[in-house]
Amino acid sequence: MKRDILKEAEYWYNFDRDIFYNRKAKKAFSLEFVDDNPEKEIRQRIEENTNGNGWTFYFNSPPSEGVKRELERVLG
Amino acid sequence: MPERTIEDKLREEYFELLPNIRRVMWQLEAEIRYYTLPILHSLKSYEQLVVKSRVKDCESALTTLSRNKMGKENEGRTFDPERPGEYSMLNLPDLAGVRVLVFPNSKLIEVDNALRDRFRSWTQKPVKNHRGEVLAPKYYGYCDEVSSSVRGEYQIVPMLLGLFWEVEHSAMYKYKKLARSKRMRKHRADVELALSRFEEGVESFVRDYTEPSSAIPKQTPKSE
Repeated sequence: MKRDILKEAEYWYNFDRDIFYNRKAKKAFSLEFVDDNPEKEIRQRIEENTNGNGWTFYFNSPPSEGVKRELERVLG
Repeated sequence: MPERTIEDKLREEYFELLPNIRRVMWQLEAEIRYYTLPILHSLKSYEQLVVKSRVKDCESALTTLSRNKMGKENEGRTFDPERPGEYSMLNLPDLAGVRVLVFPNSKLIEVDNALRDRFRSWTQKPVKNHRGEVLAPKYYGYCDEVSSSVRGEYQIVPMLLGLFWEVEHSAMYKYKKLARSKRMRKHRADVELALSRFEEGVESFVRDYTEPSSAIPKQTPKSE
């Protein structure tokens, strides 16, 4: 199951924002993205290399810069 | 001084609207009690009709607004600080709400019919289960006598289901989306089915064991 994949990769759930996040990897998945994409895609995104300097958000509709800033503030 | 957030501005709007929200709630509750009074007076001993009203609290209104974007789920549940004009408490249709709880379920249609004429212009948005079956009629619109900006909402709910929803809502509201998981949907469907079977059981018991009125001998007045 997709949620098990995220759990294994140490992604936690933010109940206020409905996102799965991993502070170390600096990645966040919206619940809608997880619901709408196959397991294979979720695995690929988890394993994908990012520069790690800033957060990467996996959303169905890319968040605006303002929303990204707000989420980065919340996620730390 | 730090810049005010969208949440701060929405809180301010909420408290400016609060007197109006209260007026809508009182008006709606009073009218619903008035129109359902004949039903209340004709209830049998095992039947119930309870009218409850509430003002949506500020933080709950904020949460609802952050979850919606143009009528769809807002991914990330975050207000966009670059689009402050997109958000208003007045977008919510249920700032003032009344819930009519009825038992047994057969009273639901009677109450719905009693209110329909008065609220004919209101928009219908029934509560449905995951199979798309209507569980509770729900309407929203304006009480023009008291406010042209704040909408009110009323719903008529089978009592057992309504009481279950009260507990479920307070326990699961924050986890609303997660609560739609297959497992939780199954648990909820099991509860709903059990509650409606109980209601059907009560109704059929009463039907089967109530002496038909035709069998009751008519009393003739005693001659003096």
